[in-house]
Amino acid sequence: MTSRPLMLLRITTSATEEIGLTPHGKLSIFPVTGGSFEGERLRGKVLAGGGDWVAARADGTFDLDLRVTLETDDGALIHMTFTGVRDDANDYLRTLPRFETAAPKYAFLNRLLAVGIGEIHPEGPVHAIEEIL
Amino acid sequence: MNTRLLMMLRVIVAAPQNIGAVPHGTRRTVPLSGGDFEGPRLRGTVLPDGSADWLLLRADGVLEMDLRVTLRTDDGALISMKSFGLRHGPPEVIAAIGRGETVDPATYYFRTTPRFETAHPAYAFVNRLVAVASGDRRAEGPIYTIHEVL
Repeated sequence: MTSRPLMLLRITTSATEEIGLTPHGKLSIFPVTGGSFEGERLRGKVLAGGGDWVAARADGTFDLDLRVTLETDDGALIHMTFTGVRDDANDYLRTLPRFETAAPKYAFLNRLLAVGIGEIHPEGPVHAIEEIL
Repeated sequence: MNTRLLMMLRVIVAAPQNIGAVPHGTRRTVPLSGGDFEGPRLRGTVLPDGSADWLLLRADGVLEMDLRVTLRTDDGALISMKSFGLRHGPPEVIAAIGRGETVDPATYYFRTTPRFETAHPAYAFVNRLVAVASGDRRAEGPIYTIHEVL
């Protein structure tokens, strides 16, 4: 598969909300307080208010379910979600981001699929997101 | 992005169910009558009952696909696959696909993002990966080349 870089997304979170053991596993919510994204075709900041709903699975991995709002440096809002898997035993954090926007300039985001390669840094997760060509 | 081949999946489509205009676009459900898959680590058949692609043609001309398939490996394991995808391209290419013609898959965008679930220990690795696929719509049904994201 061929791909090309879309953006580097950095997310900052506040204190984790531990929901605890639910029928689907232990659920933790990571509220998003901000962040930034930068790529050749778009850049801007992550708005506060989203989060990542992380469910611990019985096999030791985590299901990720993120939704955030991105604001480009020229004022467009982009709704972004991803699902993904975090498997610490195999150092594997991969996501499938999707985007929705009403801004014509960024309409290309509505028409693409993407993959994120994630890393957990002390200041928060960083996702290198590539467009699937 | 590093990937490696997981499988080639061929599905056979049955008569579509045209739901029609819904609030989010035009909805069509395409049941699958069968198919098969083959890769270095797994191979088998597509179970027809319950496997289908739920399609939504959006106002911007993009076709959203929500494929749900049950795979049965040649050694009897069941694997549930769900795959969200997008398809779009030049109007003449999309029209040719609609007429059942074989079209060069490089002339349109047909990509999906499969996820898998299984209870079978031999295939537990599929629970822990995300995948990307490119599709090639043939008259009898799409052929997906599915790559594991490494």
